[in-house]
Amino acid sequence: MAYPDTGLRAEPASFRDPANRVYHHGDEVLRVLDERAAAEWRALAASDFFPALLAEGRVCGTEPVETAPVPEGWAAVLRHERIPFVSHPYEWSHTMLRDAALLHLQILRAALPAGFTTKDGSAYNLQWRGAQPVFIDVGSFTPVRDGEPWAGYRQFCQTLLYPLLLGAHLGLDFQPWLRSRVDGIEPDEMRRLFAGVRRLRPGVFTHVHLHDAMQRRNARASTADVRTQLRAAGYSRELALATVRGLERLVGRLDRQPPASHWIDYQRTCGYSAADRAAKESFVAGSLAAGPRARLALDLGANDGRYARLAADHADYVVAVEQDPAVVDRLYRALRAEGERHILPLVMDLADPSPGGGWRGVERAAFADRARADAVLALAVVHHLAIGRNVPLPEVVDWLAGFGAPGARLVVEFVHPEDPMALRLLANKPDGLFPDYRRDEFERLLGTRCRIENRLDLPSGTRTLYRAVVGG
Amino acid sequence: MNHLAYLDAGSGSLIVQAVVGGVAGVAVAAKLYWRRLVDRFRKQPTDQH
Repeated sequence: MAYPDTGLRAEPASFRDPANRVYHHGDEVLRVLDERAAAEWRALAASDFFPALLAEGRVCGTEPVETAPVPEGWAAVLRHERIPFVSHPYEWSHTMLRDAALLHLQILRAALPAGFTTKDGSAYNLQWRGAQPVFIDVGSFTPVRDGEPWAGYRQFCQTLLYPLLLGAHLGLDFQPWLRSRVDGIEPDEMRRLFAGVRRLRPGVFTHVHLHDAMQRRNARASTADVRTQLRAAGYSRELALATVRGLERLVGRLDRQPPASHWIDYQRTCGYSAADRAAKESFVAGSLAAGPRARLALDLGANDGRYARLAADHADYVVAVEQDPAVVDRLYRALRAEGERHILPLVMDLADPSPGGGWRGVERAAFADRARADAVLALAVVHHLAIGRNVPLPEVVDWLAGFGAPGARLVVEFVHPEDPMALRLLANKPDGLFPDYRRDEFERLLGTRCRIENRLDLPSGTRTLYRAVVGG
Repeated sequence: MNHLAYLDAGSGSLIVQAVVGGVAGVAVAAKLYWRRLVDRFRKQPTDQH
């Protein structure tokens, strides 16, 4: 939706709280506030805790816009720092979700003593600058009313705590659960998963079983009545703080040891010789350095992030996509330890990328609608799609070229059908199923969508790298 | 109007937070339930008339 004459485009994910709304204006991210929200913003900006959170980078950069005309019906406009690549919680690894949850709780713990709370507690309040989580929903801050528990607790459970319990206690990947439900996992579902002695695991009895029982017993009580009753019974701000501290301690314990994974050792076991690896790295670095600096680079099938790191030298921001959550988790931990701010690791199956979700299927944008890149790395990934997942080769090439506007650079590796890794995949399929899976055919197809600038056969002789320019 | 409540916080989700808050919180929840019980008994005689 665009406002006529203003050039403002409404952010499809920002509509639930009528007090404020996010718009895009060119590259700018603006938040408009109603009369009350504007007064609350002034109080927030004058507080001690909020400027400190801003200075530490824990809340996204925010400043009032004094010059631009305020759209009709609104009282004030804020300008936000642009998040380089918007991702969704179902694209994060376990440790990423845990760090995001901890940041949300730390922010709430800083806000409460200063007389503020957050209106909600959703995982969608958080985004990333590389491996650093950042709280983006500045419109969520509001003065706290004494005697009231946190309104965002249920959302926090459903979109952050419960997914973490699934991972830490049951060893399950939470991503499919969050992807299929924009509001997260219900206490009732969790209760069924945590039956028997599982209810004794940390956090489960109170936040799942008791929570579910309370919800059912109070299904007909209005939240306004319950708030009044809690205030009368002596619920205090100290209690609210104690709850947040308790949640923080719990979330801090919800670690998940990565399961043994084939892909974790892929770089060591995938059969590259030292000469292959050196040649590949030099070709990739040279290809990325050949053109203008990329604003956004994608590393599709990033594995341990070796090439995403190379790309970060030649791009403002790199999104490293990898299917295996355990591999992404390990990469995230490494990037976090280095304080990396320019590489975002994401969990995604390239043959089943994030679709549009939420209201009208646009509230949570599809990966294809976000991933407009200036440089794309697709190293040792084409054979997994073409042989492993039966995607026709012309489709794979078309898909790769679709990530970039004309002029974008592709660095693609084609694994020949004689390569040991390709043979391993082909061994599980009937003979002759992929007659088009040949180097000459791949090169012809690539040439129909791109200008091939350079190619290199790796020393082992069964892999070829291409540097191509989309639409060239 | 409660300006906080653009979101349905969930009545049960509000009460359970008291319990999560430790001993003092459990006391608050117990007091809430005790008052509900007393109110019910107080209301009953008038309901019968």
